Amino acid sequence: MSPSTVDLASAAALVDLPGMTPVRLARLLDGFSPGLAWRAVAAGTHPADRGRRFAVNARGVEPVEVARRYAAAGVQILLPDSLGYPAALIGDPGAPAVLCSSGDPSVLAARPAVAVVGTRSATRYGVRVASDLGRGLTEAGVVVVSGLAKGIDAAAHAGALSATPASAPPVAVVGTGLDVVYPNEHRLLWEQVASVGAVLSEAALGTPPHPRVFPARNRIIAALSDIVVVVECHGRGGSLHTVEAAARRSIPVGAVPGAVHSPASRGTNGLLVDGCMPIRDVDDVLTALALARGGAPLTATGGTWRDPPEGDRPEHRLDRVERIVWDAVDDVATPVETVLLRTNLSLSSLADVGEALADRGILVAGAGWWARA
Amino acid sequence: MRKGGSGLDLPIAIGVLVASGVLDAEAVAGHAFVGELGLDGSLRGIPGALVLAEALVGLRVVVAEENGVEAALAGGDCQTAATLADVEARCSGRLPWSSPLTVAPGPKHGLCGTAVAGDLADVRGQRVARRALELAATGGHHLLMVGPPGAGKTLLANRLPGILPDLDAETSRTATRIHSASGAAGVTTELLHRPPFRAPHHGLSAVAMIGGRSAALRPGEIGLAHGGVLFLDELGEFPTAVLDALRQPLEDGVVRVSRSQGSSICPARFLLIAAMNPCPCGEGGVPGACRCSSGARSRYARRLSGPLLDRFDLTVRVDRPEPAELVGTGPEESTAVVAARVAAARKRARDRGVRANAELDASCLDDVAPLDPRAAALLERHVRTGRLSARGLHRVRRLARTAADLDGAGRTVGPAHVAEALFLRGSRSALLGEEVR
Repeated sequence: MSPSTVDLASAAALVDLPGMTPVRLARLLDGFSPGLAWRAVAAGTHPADRGRRFAVNARGVEPVEVARRYAAAGVQILLPDSLGYPAALIGDPGAPAVLCSSGDPSVLAARPAVAVVGTRSATRYGVRVASDLGRGLTEAGVVVVSGLAKGIDAAAHAGALSATPASAPPVAVVGTGLDVVYPNEHRLLWEQVASVGAVLSEAALGTPPHPRVFPARNRIIAALSDIVVVVECHGRGGSLHTVEAAARRSIPVGAVPGAVHSPASRGTNGLLVDGCMPIRDVDDVLTALALARGGAPLTATGGTWRDPPEGDRPEHRLDRVERIVWDAVDDVATPVETVLLRTNLSLSSLADVGEALADRGILVAGAGWWARA
Repeated sequence: MRKGGSGLDLPIAIGVLVASGVLDAEAVAGHAFVGELGLDGSLRGIPGALVLAEALVGLRVVVAEENGVEAALAGGDCQTAATLADVEARCSGRLPWSSPLTVAPGPKHGLCGTAVAGDLADVRGQRVARRALELAATGGHHLLMVGPPGAGKTLLANRLPGILPDLDAETSRTATRIHSASGAAGVTTELLHRPPFRAPHHGLSAVAMIGGRSAALRPGEIGLAHGGVLFLDELGEFPTAVLDALRQPLEDGVVRVSRSQGSSICPARFLLIAAMNPCPCGEGGVPGACRCSSGARSRYARRLSGPLLDRFDLTVRVDRPEPAELVGTGPEESTAVVAARVAAARKRARDRGVRANAELDASCLDDVAPLDPRAAALLERHVRTGRLSARGLHRVRRLARTAADLDGAGRTVGPAHVAEALFLRGSRSALLGEEVR
């Protein structure tokens, strides 16, 4: 059974009303079909619209027109009884009453899904891990769910898109309207995810980024996933909202361990201390996934990181001074000041060696810090 | 010479006395009078007495007692008086003139605005910043320190004047004159020997920075910093207009001020030291540490114009020292040790005909700082990959020359010093609390 055109158009019109939020929408649709709810709101008789604010906003709005506008923007309206509405959300206490989708939302059906999330100010390490996980999971046929935010989210999606074979399409859940690309530099990534997978949002077209919309978005990410993996996060922030939402739904949470000195791993290391699953690579996720879903474990088709054999690694071909400098630089960003103190070299000698190592791709040089590549 | 202000009180009064027949016109011939008169006839000092006295050399200059020492620095026949009656009595011959005032060379400390004394030995660690400070002092390269609050940026800047050499005779006289003309810093009592240190607060106006306050076109902070250091703490907090006003003086070494009352040119050759946080939260720059939104970060960085940032040959990160890393490192060098090295390296610059390497003309770089082949290849690689502009290339070569001078290297500049200069020039992204992906 799929919803009627009247219900879909009315749902679009309700989502599109100024001042509408997911919570208010859920209240308006509680016990009402969208068609009935719209008629009651427009008539000013809806019991949940006590201040009749939506009745005022609904004046002159033609649901068919709104639906046409959404369709023109390539946005599909999903109701819980729609065919493409994610099964994982049905019965969820915080399930969105109406979901907007660009791309094909049915990609979630019959596939395991893993959320790969984390901080927007990620380190190189975090970006690399997120990208590896995104790629490896996609190759193993797992849908990678994330939020298209900067940092970890974007890396996970980019990794998923680079997978060969692309055994599962990625899914993004965003907080803004589907026509508001945020952050704007992710436009290409956004369009690619929508074209091979789906980008979902419970916000009306034109909804701008607002701090309020992201925690709400995170609950959908958690609810859609079989496992939530946090790659890097600070002591507080959006990723922990996702973790909380997952915990409330008894969805397992995994965390990628990081350097204890790295501020970007403070949150994830904390999660590990609290008993979350440590995630080192795709295999760890797949094992956890098998435990969570029951049944035979999936196997990774590649993409896990292994040490290259001794002698082939660039750091095994260093002269004496280069070795001293290499030993003084950590995997995480190390201030050059610290390297200077550890090596006791003069700044000119150190800069000379650093320049040579960076040129050979052994060191990464930032503004005042170095890290092992 | 200024033809307005209260300094003309005394000459007008003398004029009245002559016109009314109390004084003989002959008796005041060859005299110059400078001073403000109180209602009780007492004589008061005025700002800029040194400048006036220098303009009046050859005449017997009569000033208020508080201006005596300052006017005497001009070297002419300088007399002081306490009251108008005093001046009248001496002019009419009832009292004798005293012998001209002379001033013994003053003690070797700064006159005003000198940094809080402190020794470099007190600063633990911070080897990158110390080296940058030393290079700045030696080569006259402007320095920008970027780092979180509490990292010791101000502490380091305050120790810069200590490692600068004494002012040369000409700069000393010019600087003293500017301080005298400003009048704001109290009464001048001796020639300025040590480089001045000015650290204006970011609340100051463009006029206070470049000069031109009041009809007298008083010198501003950059004039007062002539020959010394201008330290701008919280660079990002200064109004854009104030910062942009710095660009022309930084280029020319003088500041031109035009007002309705006329225009003036004031020497303003100073070493610019600035400090700022990398972003509003102060933690930016190291990946994963900053919690600012990228919008807030780029807004913060945009406050500084590219041309101004380009003037800084040295951009270094100054982080809070990590105690664990300091264990086992010996005591650091003292101000005296560093100052000796700076003085020796400065002498090498003087042999090239410049006060400091930052003044070296781009055309003579191949002559005074030829590059070793590896160093040339390194620079070429940076230019080719767009990490260094043609303008930046000259700046890096001057800086590398200074580094080589400090280390006592020969005429050819090697790859290590070029690599060091490239590292210390830093990159603009240092200010943005860069993101790594």
